[in-house]
Amino acid sequence: MDYNQTFAKEVYEKVDSGDEIKVCMQCGVCGATCPLRGEMKYGPRQIWSLIRAGRRDEVLNNPDIMLCTSCYTCQVRCPRGVPIMEVMHGLAHYALAQGIVPRAETAKFGKAFWEGIYDTGRVDEAVVPIKYCLQDGLVAGLKKSLGMMDIGLALMKAKRMKPKMFIPPNIFIPGVHKIKGVKQLQRMLDKAAAIDAAKEA
Amino acid sequence: MTDETKKAILVVGGGMSGLSAALEAAEAGYQVVLVEKNAYVGGRVAQLHQYFPKLCPPYCGLEINFRRVKSNPRITIHTLAEVTSIEGAPGDFTVKVKVSPRYVNDKCTACGKCADAVSATIPNPFNYGLDQIKAAYLPHDLAMPLRYVIDPSIAGTDEGQKAAAACPYGAVDLGDAGQELSLNVGAVIWAAGWTPYDPSKIEYYNFDKSPNIVTNVQFERLAAVNGPTSGAIQRPGDGAAPKKVAFIQCAGSRDENHLPFCSSICCLASLKQSTYVMEKLPEAEITIYFIDIRAMDRNEDFYTKVKASNKVQFVKSKIAMITPQANGNLILEGENTATGERFKAEHDLVVLATGMQPNTALSQVPFDVTYDPYGFLTSGQAVIGVGTVRRPSEVVTCVQDGTSAALKAIQAVGR
Ligand SMILES: Cc1cc2nc3c(=O)[nH]c(=O)nc-3n(C[C@H](O)[C@H](O)[C@H](O)COP(=O)(O)OP(=O)(O)OC[C@H]3O[C@@H](n4cnc5c(N)ncnc54)[C@H](O)[C@@H]3O)c2cc1C
Ligand code: SF4
Ligand code: SF4
Repeated sequence: MDYNQTFAKEVYEKVDSGDEIKVCMQCGVCGATCPLRGEMKYGPRQIWSLIRAGRRDEVLNNPDIMLCTSCYTCQVRCPRGVPIMEVMHGLAHYALAQGIVPRAETAKFGKAFWEGIYDTGRVDEAVVPIKYCLQDGLVAGLKKSLGMMDIGLALMKAKRMKPKMFIPPNIFIPGVHKIKGVKQLQRMLDKAAAIDAAKEA
Repeated sequence: MTDETKKAILVVGGGMSGLSAALEAAEAGYQVVLVEKNAYVGGRVAQLHQYFPKLCPPYCGLEINFRRVKSNPRITIHTLAEVTSIEGAPGDFTVKVKVSPRYVNDKCTACGKCADAVSATIPNPFNYGLDQIKAAYLPHDLAMPLRYVIDPSIAGTDEGQKAAAACPYGAVDLGDAGQELSLNVGAVIWAAGWTPYDPSKIEYYNFDKSPNIVTNVQFERLAAVNGPTSGAIQRPGDGAAPKKVAFIQCAGSRDENHLPFCSSICCLASLKQSTYVMEKLPEAEITIYFIDIRAMDRNEDFYTKVKASNKVQFVKSKIAMITPQANGNLILEGENTATGERFKAEHDLVVLATGMQPNTALSQVPFDVTYDPYGFLTSGQAVIGVGTVRRPSEVVTCVQDGTSAALKAIQAVGR
C-alpha cells in the first residue's frame, strides 16, 4: 500500500491539537468508552488511523467528528493523554472551514449556539433551540420543533428549560438578555476567529 | 585486609535482588547485613506458583539461595526490620535499623501449637488477603527463617497469653519490645523491590465491586498448592471453577493516569498463568486482552509456544470497562483494534495483569538520592539500587543486577 503522509501533516499543522495524535498507541479505549459508540461508525482511534493512512475525504466528511458531545470521558481515560475531544472538535472545525459539512444537523445547531453567544454574550436555552429550528424557514422549523417536543418537555420537567422563555416578547427580543460589553466580546471573538483562519489557511 | 578491618555491606530487602547481592558480596569475602521488612526472606518470588519461562517451582531457586545463606557465616539477617536513617558517605555510613517485635524467639521449632491455641484470625498477607490465618502463624510452609510470628494485634491480649501457654519450648515472648540497631557499614545496597499497582485506582475496572476480579499476584496464589484453595483455581465469589477466564493486560501500566511505563513482566505472567488454566481446567476458555504482547528476547519462545497451543484467544484491545453482573460474571467492553469491532464479552473470572510500582515510589530511601519521574532509583549514587527499584524486571535480570550491585558495593567499601 502506498503510504502518503500529506494529509497527516496537514492535520498536525492545521487542525487544533492535531499534532497530539502522534502519541496515540492505538489501544482502543476511546472508541469503547464513548457514550456515542453505538452511533459512531469509526470512533476516535479509527479516525486517527484514517488520518495516518491519508484518507482525507473519508475523515473530513465523517459525521463521527461532529458527534462528539464534549463529555471528556475518552480524554480523561486515554492512557497516552491525547486531548481527543479537542482533536475531534478541531477536525470538525477544520472541515467546516474547508466548506465540508460532515453532519448537517450538528452544524446547524452549532451555528445557532454560536450566534447566540456572539449576539448576546450568553447561551440562552430558549434562543438556541429557536434559532436552530428556524434555520430552514418557518414551516420546516415548526415541524422540527414539534418533532422535538418530547425532548423540550423532558428538559422543562428537569428544570433545564423554563416555559416562560417561549412566551412573547421573550422569543422575539433576544436582545434583552445581552451581557454588558457585548461589543468587546465580539471584538475578542473576531480576533480569535482571524487567528484560527490564519492557521487553517 | 582481613574481614574484620573491612566495613560491612548493608543490603536492604531480601527478595531475589537483595539475596543475590548479599550472597555475591559474602561469597567474595565481605561481611553482609541483610535487613528485611517481612518476617521471612524471598520477597514476592516466594508467592509465585511457577516461574516463567521454564515453569519450574520458584522454591527450587530460593532453596539453593537459602542453603548458600545458611552455609555462609558472613551473612547476618534481620527480619521484621526496616532502615530508619542513613548518615555518612560511601566507605563510612551509620545506619539505624528498627526491628519490630516478632514475639517468638529462636527456640521456636515451628510445631504450630501456638496457632492451635489461638482463635483470632487476620487476613493472610502471604495470600494477598484471599483467606484468613490465625494471628499466631508461620508466614508460609517454607519460610526462612522457619519461625512463627505472633501478630501485634493479639500480643497484649488473652489470645497472646494462650499462645504463650501452649508453646512447649518457651519460645513465645510477649515482652518482646523489638530493638533499635546502629550499624557502621561501608556500602548500602537498596533492594526494596516492588508493589503490585493498586487496581482500585482504575475506577472503571470496578475491582472493589466484584470478588471475581482478581489481580495477577492473587492468581498466583489461587494456583499454588500452598495457596488458599490448595491449588484449585476457583472464583473467589462462589468457589466455582471458572469456565471463561479473561486476562487484562496493562491494568494500570503504560497509562499516563497510572503507571506511565511498561512493567515488562505482566505479559509473560499472563502467558504463564494461561498455562495454569490449561493444566488445571482443560475445558475452560482463555482470552488475553492486550495492546501488544511484550515478550522480549528468549521469552518470545514462550509466547510462541503458548500461541501454538491454540488454547488461548488473543484479542488486541485494551479493555475500557468491566461491569459486574448479578450472577457474579463480568462484562468486558473494548474495541478490537485488529477488526475495528467494538465488543462486549462475558467472562466468569477476570485477572488484572497489574504492573510493578517500585517501592521507592511508595516509601523513599532515608538518604539524599535521586529518582526518575516514576520513582525508580537512578544509577551511580551513594546508595546502590538493585533489581526492581531500578526498573521493572524479571528474576533473571534481578539476579544479574545483584551481582553488579555487589561489585559496586565492594568498590565502595574498599575506598
Ligand atoms: C504476577 C507476577 C508473576 C511473576 N512471575 C515471574 C516469573 O514467573 N518469573 C520471573 O522471572 N519473574 C516473575 N515475576 C517478577 C518477579 O516477581 C520479580 O522480578 C521479583 O519479585 C523481583 O525481586 P526483587 O527482589 O527486586 O523484589 P521483591 O520480590 O519485591 O523483594 C523485595 C524485598 O524487600 C523487602 N522490602 C521492601 N521494602 C523494604 C524496606 N523498606 N526495608 C527492608 N525490606 C524491604 C520486601 O519485603 C521484599 O522481601 C512476576 C511478577 C508478577 C507480578
Ligand atoms: S484512547 Fe488514546 S491512545 Fe488509546 S486509541 Fe484512543 S487516542 Fe489512542
Ligand atoms: S508487559 Fe505487557 S501487560 Fe505489562 S505493561 Fe508491558 S505491555 Fe502491558
